[in-house]
Amino acid sequence: MSLIDIAFYFFAILIIASAYIVVTSKNIMYSAFALLFTFFGVAGIYVLLNADFLAITQIVIYIGGILVLIIFGVMLTNRITGVDIKTGTMSKFQIWMTAILCVIAAIGLILIFTQTNWNTALSPTKASTIEDIGTLLLTDYLIGFEIASVLLLIAIIGAALIARRKTN
Amino acid sequence: MIDEIFLSQLKQSVDLFLPETILVATFIIALIFDLIYKNSRYLIAVISIIGLVFSGIFLVNQSTSSAAIFSGMLSFDPFGNFFKILILLTTIIIVLMSVFSKELYEGGRKTGEYYILIVGMTFGMFLLAVANNLIIVYLAIETMSISSYILAGYTKEIKRASEASLKYVIFGAVSSGMMIYGISLIYGLTGSLTFDAINSAMISSDISGLTLLIAGLMIIAGIGYKISAVPFHFWTPDVYEGAPITITAYLSVASKAAGFAVLIRFLKVSFFDSTNYANDEIWTLIGTIDWQIVIAILSVLTMTLGNLVALWQTNMKRLLAYSSIAHAGYILMGVVVMTDIGVTSVLIYFFVYMIMNLGAFLVVMIIANKTGNEDIQKYNGIGHKAPFVSACMVIFLISLTGLPPTAGFIGKWAVFTAVLKSEYIWLAVVGVLNSVVSLYYYVKIFRNMYIRNFEDDSEIYEFSPGTYILLIILAVPTLIFGIYFTPLLDWAESSVKIFLGV
Repeated sequence: MSLIDIAFYFFAILIIASAYIVVTSKNIMYSAFALLFTFFGVAGIYVLLNADFLAITQIVIYIGGILVLIIFGVMLTNRITGVDIKTGTMSKFQIWMTAILCVIAAIGLILIFTQTNWNTALSPTKASTIEDIGTLLLTDYLIGFEIASVLLLIAIIGAALIARRKTN
Repeated sequence: MIDEIFLSQLKQSVDLFLPETILVATFIIALIFDLIYKNSRYLIAVISIIGLVFSGIFLVNQSTSSAAIFSGMLSFDPFGNFFKILILLTTIIIVLMSVFSKELYEGGRKTGEYYILIVGMTFGMFLLAVANNLIIVYLAIETMSISSYILAGYTKEIKRASEASLKYVIFGAVSSGMMIYGISLIYGLTGSLTFDAINSAMISSDISGLTLLIAGLMIIAGIGYKISAVPFHFWTPDVYEGAPITITAYLSVASKAAGFAVLIRFLKVSFFDSTNYANDEIWTLIGTIDWQIVIAILSVLTMTLGNLVALWQTNMKRLLAYSSIAHAGYILMGVVVMTDIGVTSVLIYFFVYMIMNLGAFLVVMIIANKTGNEDIQKYNGIGHKAPFVSACMVIFLISLTGLPPTAGFIGKWAVFTAVLKSEYIWLAVVGVLNSVVSLYYYVKIFRNMYIRNFEDDSEIYEFSPGTYILLIILAVPTLIFGIYFTPLLDWAESSVKIFLGV
């Protein structure tokens, strides 16, 4: 086992274990903190895949932005921190059905990933992908970049609209 | 790297992108005016209309040639133009309708953002109609969805509107999650996201069938959510009932049109042999997966469930929601055929559906302005209180059923002919049976309007002249296209050409 393999399994276990806590924890604060480790693990996987820009973005946006926002949201909303989130409101039948569906989905995914003839590329030898991504964003993917800006503007207007007090 | 060739291509792309650019400009100008003149009632509506009309003028005057623009991210072709014109017409009618909506202006609500978001949503749908790359498809779907989530809950003090909005967001998030997973599988299989590159990768290399099937189904699920095809329709009745009527009408026409445009383009450009396209009539499938059967099953489920559940509805918006699900099923029949005749029939049906469905929603809105809700019981005796409006409603309902001499008949006729030509006899039979079922619930509405409750105090409803003009604008074409439909046929036939890449 090479060092990269060890690193991969470390991150993979980190992601799965913390994701499990996110879903099952009854305290929303614990869930939010466990999410931190999930995001961090995903960033680690990106690094192993030579996707340095994605890894940085993952840390800056998801951990630095979204997660901090979630934690602030939880802390500033009084009465939410102490409330137990109900994780067990399903009947036996529902639990079994969900379990069976999940197993089928898992087997399906494993089959897909092992049986498919993937279109693979050699791992790039470049030191950094940031420059290429920047160039592509302003050439081939220019229109996507512009659409994203309109999309974000619409989302901001929407957020302001929802938050606005009733006018009279 | 940036060079001369890239710059000249970019310039050409920007020229062909003018209608969309005008939409974004309108969006921003309206936003600024909304900040300056905070309390004007109709100013933003007027600005939006002006922008939309300008965009339309440039759209109609654009050349009929085809080209790949923005490095192949978008395809500029007659097919996309048809859908763009259809979406733009719908938007203009919806903005005009909104001006008369009582529900929207109730309690002095500020409506500037409402029109701004409609323009933003139009931009998203325009892109969807021309998108030739899965990333752009995703971005365009999100632009359209996020605007429509907000618009569906615009009357946020009304509980059912906020509930509708939240349901829409949750279902929407799940479906776009599925779609982007499917996109990632396609990328893994073919190493590309552009439709024509996916096509050439599928021709040249051996693609694993199971993975392709699952990836394709996931993408179809994402688009199926937008066109509310069964089994991705769960949000439709609740959202259509809770949203303001104008937005319900908008979602039922424009966002479906955009969804169908991208569905047809994706299936045709990616999954059909582009090298063997000498004869425009025949499309040859690549690979072992029969996408026609997949769409046929969706179509049968969609129209049957839509029509059967519509039978029990007592709320007009809910009833029209299920009716619109059923119509999506009929239109999917045209997609099943997967020939140029099939696409022509889809275009014809969509144009007709736009007019008659907007008309029916307009009547529902006019009557809800008077009675305060959309309960079907409130329609008792409306035929005597508002004779002209009811007469128009009868025209729209006959057209929705698909009986001559209305435009709805032409739409159904086009779709059924296309299906019969491709020897999907069983599908045509299911379609005809469904039309018969639909007659029942449409007739129920005009039974209530004319036969029920004669002895009522015979008060006559007064409506503003604007609503009458709008009604005439929609009712007259519904009749005219039922009798004189050659221009519509010609336009649709000249618009089937889908750009297949360079």
